[in-house]
Amino acid sequence: MIAYYGRLALLSLKKNVLLTGLMIAAIGLGIGAAMTTITVNYLMSADPIPSKSDRLFAVQVDNWSPNEAYDEPNLPPDQVTWLEATQLTEAKMAYRQAGMGTSYGVIEPKGKDQKPYLASVRITYADFFPMFEPPFLYGSGWSTQADEARELVIVLSKEANNEIFGGANSVGETVTFSGNVFRVVGVLDEWEPKPKFFDLATGAFNDMEDVYMPYTLKQALELDTSGNNNCWKPIAEETFQAFLNSECVNSQFWVEFEDPDDKHAYLDFLHNYVAEQKQLGRFPREQNNRLHNVMEWLEYQEVVADDAQMMMYMALMFLIVCLLNTIALLLAKFTGRFGEIALRRAVGASRRTLMLQYSVEAAIVGVLGGLVGLILAWLGLQGISALYGDSTEGLTSLDGTMIAVGFALAIVSSILAALYPTWRACSIAPAGQLKTQ
Amino acid sequence: MLKMTSVRKTFRTDTIETHALRDFDLQVEEGDFVAVTGPSGSGKTTFLNVAGLLETFDDGDYQLDGKSVQGMNDRQLAQLRNEKIGFIFQSFNLLPDLNLFDNVDVPLRYRGFNSAERKQRIEQALETVGLANRMGHYPAQLSGGQQQRVAIARALAGSPRFLLADEPTGNLDSNMASGVLDLLSEINAQGTTIIMVTHDPSLAQRAQRNIFVRDGQVTEVQTGTNIQELLQQTAQV
Amino acid sequence: MNQIGPIFRALLRNKVGALLLALQIALTMTIIVNAIHMIENRSSMMARESGMDEANQFHLMYVGYKDSFNERVAVETDLLEIRKLNGVVDATQINSTPLSGGGWSMGLTTTPNSQDGTPVSLYFVDDHGLNTLGVELVAGENFSQTEVTYRLSNDKQWPQNILLTEAAAKNLFPDLTPAEMIGQTVFIRDDEPMTIKGIIDHLQAPWVQWSNVNNVMLVPQRGLWNANRYLVRTAPGERDRLMREVEELLLAKRDGRLIRNVTAMDEQRDDAYQDFFALQTVLWVIVTVLTLVTALGIVGMVSFTVNQRRKQIGTRRALGATKGDIMRQFMLENLLITGSGLIIGVASSIALNIWLVDTFSLPRIGWHYLPIAMVVLVIVGQLAVLGPARKAANLSPALATRTT
Ligand SMILES: Nc1ncnc2c1ncn2[C@@H]1O[C@H](COP(=O)(O)OP(=O)(O)O)[C@@H](O)[C@H]1O
Ligand SMILES: [Mg+2]
Repeated sequence: MIAYYGRLALLSLKKNVLLTGLMIAAIGLGIGAAMTTITVNYLMSADPIPSKSDRLFAVQVDNWSPNEAYDEPNLPPDQVTWLEATQLTEAKMAYRQAGMGTSYGVIEPKGKDQKPYLASVRITYADFFPMFEPPFLYGSGWSTQADEARELVIVLSKEANNEIFGGANSVGETVTFSGNVFRVVGVLDEWEPKPKFFDLATGAFNDMEDVYMPYTLKQALELDTSGNNNCWKPIAEETFQAFLNSECVNSQFWVEFEDPDDKHAYLDFLHNYVAEQKQLGRFPREQNNRLHNVMEWLEYQEVVADDAQMMMYMALMFLIVCLLNTIALLLAKFTGRFGEIALRRAVGASRRTLMLQYSVEAAIVGVLGGLVGLILAWLGLQGISALYGDSTEGLTSLDGTMIAVGFALAIVSSILAALYPTWRACSIAPAGQLKTQ
Repeated sequence: MLKMTSVRKTFRTDTIETHALRDFDLQVEEGDFVAVTGPSGSGKTTFLNVAGLLETFDDGDYQLDGKSVQGMNDRQLAQLRNEKIGFIFQSFNLLPDLNLFDNVDVPLRYRGFNSAERKQRIEQALETVGLANRMGHYPAQLSGGQQQRVAIARALAGSPRFLLADEPTGNLDSNMASGVLDLLSEINAQGTTIIMVTHDPSLAQRAQRNIFVRDGQVTEVQTGTNIQELLQQTAQV
Repeated sequence: MNQIGPIFRALLRNKVGALLLALQIALTMTIIVNAIHMIENRSSMMARESGMDEANQFHLMYVGYKDSFNERVAVETDLLEIRKLNGVVDATQINSTPLSGGGWSMGLTTTPNSQDGTPVSLYFVDDHGLNTLGVELVAGENFSQTEVTYRLSNDKQWPQNILLTEAAAKNLFPDLTPAEMIGQTVFIRDDEPMTIKGIIDHLQAPWVQWSNVNNVMLVPQRGLWNANRYLVRTAPGERDRLMREVEELLLAKRDGRLIRNVTAMDEQRDDAYQDFFALQTVLWVIVTVLTLVTALGIVGMVSFTVNQRRKQIGTRRALGATKGDIMRQFMLENLLITGSGLIIGVASSIALNIWLVDTFSLPRIGWHYLPIAMVVLVIVGQLAVLGPARKAANLSPALATRTT
């Protein structure tokens, strides 16, 4: 029977090619625009580390000026000082913890034909690797002892290893970074978490760093600070140590708990820590300590760009226009067949069978519209990535979920669009329409 | 006065040529009530359409009130239809989205009467057909006979000199049909020329004049001739 | 035109179809008005001038990596050599440039240890800074060669004299004229005094979205930070050649440094506004396609209606309607629907704008958007019905008797 309705539907769709084409185009364009923008938003707000995003927490403490908050309404800074990054890590009060920051430097060429390589650096602690689980191609991260002993160890990204060692297993080899000789302990595989949740300071979708080395070397080697540095209080002296000891925030601090509920105990610890610091004359503001797990942090930091959201709302409204369009066209179409419907009813078609017949017709339009929509969404995403360049890398691919969502949206939309026209058509009295024709 | 001389009308499609009217000659005088009969497909509707300026013709001459309509443009034709001719159709052709008042109003709007005059004419026309109390109703709320009476009111409202009716009773039962014919006779009595196509011999009897169309040509027949017989003869030819 | 009454009453009978179209028009207007508003908003931001001679400037970055790299000597000789190149107008070391997105900002006050400072972005330049940037002095004087000093990474001291943009100076001294601002003292790092030596007309901070983008302070210092930037200004048409020549000149020294990011200023501008341009393009696509969908929707609906009403149209023609009357009827019907849609559209456009203002801190729409959008959509609607309406007008009056 369904096959019969399918045939009837196709016949009726073919009979009015212009109208059918318009409906498919309208649904397709609406779905295309909506899917393009939804995909970007979906990927922007995706969980970058689903296995433990509820157990990883960004730590905020409020060392800001007594006269004004870092940000309104009374928000603590997004980053922490060198003091907190080191002291809180060394306190080891969480299951795992890692202070971190960024720097840069030049890796000198190994051979004659190589060029010097300007590397961005993530300086961090041993726990970084088990916490954020970057995949290793060779070797591993460094040990806590290496942090404490300020060993000159380095982990290379896959790209840096390709650049310097042509992709070979370089564990045990040495590289010269800003005049110091480092030992390679590990090489990462491809790793581009989007968003780059653990450091949003310079852009949530920036590339990963080229190399990783112990945070403790910042003090030892007087490494330059890159990224975002914010100060409220003049630095006391003209020394590097004075800069480290200052109230300038330029580092991030993350903890991992075995159980998300451990957060309460950790907040207690932070309270005590800040109280101690107050004794030392720091932290002039009221206690304002915060823990956000990964998804809360992305939300708090408004990682999904305003522009992306605006585009999505515009595209969704556009989809509604397309649906109104389709409803109107279907209504016109079905109204045009009131005579035929009355006849079918008169020869014994039940309301249910008619409903089925017209729903099949609408569903066919929906599926075709969905197909067109997905093709347009794919094109749209190519367009977005061409327009935005590198900053949207990894944010413009349609995955299985999105394809399924696209189809579901198309079919649900067209069924919704067909609902009223179908209901109207099927509530025609069996003979009533024959008279007035 | 309406005068056709050797009017020809040929429909061409890809496959066939149909000579719907050939050397059609007819003169209808002021105040006539002409019933047109003939077998199906003989050209009755075509004749009425040409007479009512709904269709152009290929050859011959057609004078309406002594003026040849040949070569008139769309605007002039529309104006003639609007002012001189009233139409009544087999399937009433009321506009379903307009109520009775607005339906009768349609030709008057095109005529450009002011609203007071329109109102007066509409009310009078609906009065004439006995539907003045249902002005706000919509066509779907009326019976077939009532709908046709509205159509007659619409045709009358502009005081046309000619009333052309194509099977006005074709969709009505005999009781209603008789009522409609009473109305037409009354209108004719007041001076309006009426040309009515019908396939019902008994209704044709009630006209002053009977013509019979066969293969696109017209023959005058005596009123009271057994048209049924004529039709059968034609069928045998 | 005297048919509005019956047409309107007929529309009311056919509520749903007309309502759907009206809603569609209303929403279309809402989207168009707000999208164009966003586009305009970005355009006006992009139209702001950096204050530089962008077409004839480029900059590059160097990073020293060998102990043997003597930055002070390198910078002095580099700049002398670059300035001597044929086609170079001037060159300076500078820590950052407008449109670059990265830089240094500080707060200035007019009294020591005051709470509310005026944020300014800092460019460290030498006495060739003004000429290289291409900015004009409004009052006071440029730095002299002798007052340019060197600044190490951890240095906290600030030089005696500075230059400010007029915008920054106005923030500090709202009541003074530029000439009166010369010689005034401002404080940095709470209580360190500096003297305003000159006021420049206009120069942007590095961050195009910064609310204080016009607040700039020029500092007469060269940075010895192992990594820094040169800005070069060339004669018209010479830039592309000089970008290659300057890079080759520096690379040829093989003195233990890297040269990176040789970038023309207008390329820098495109980069800085890439996201703006992208948003504008996406919105334009949405607006265009939306208008097209709405127009085609109208064409489809009206074509279908014409087909539906063939007999009615024939009947009207039989009753005396001219072709023009039939055309007018369809145009008028569309005008009524579009018109009511647009009236709803005015309200919903404003509502959406209020929401956008609240959620995305976008500015209010100018009222003039509304009538313009209304006129445009009326025209679009009328153009869309034109085709089907003409088809309707050309239907034969004989349809009155020929169709069942
Ligand atoms: N538009 C048309 N195209 C082709 N043939 C037509 C057309 N209209 C009428 N005819 C033919 O012309 C002849 C006369 O038709 P008509 O005047 O409608 O006959 P009737 O006497 O039944 O009213 C018929 O054979 C009909 O098929
Ligand atoms: Mg006929």
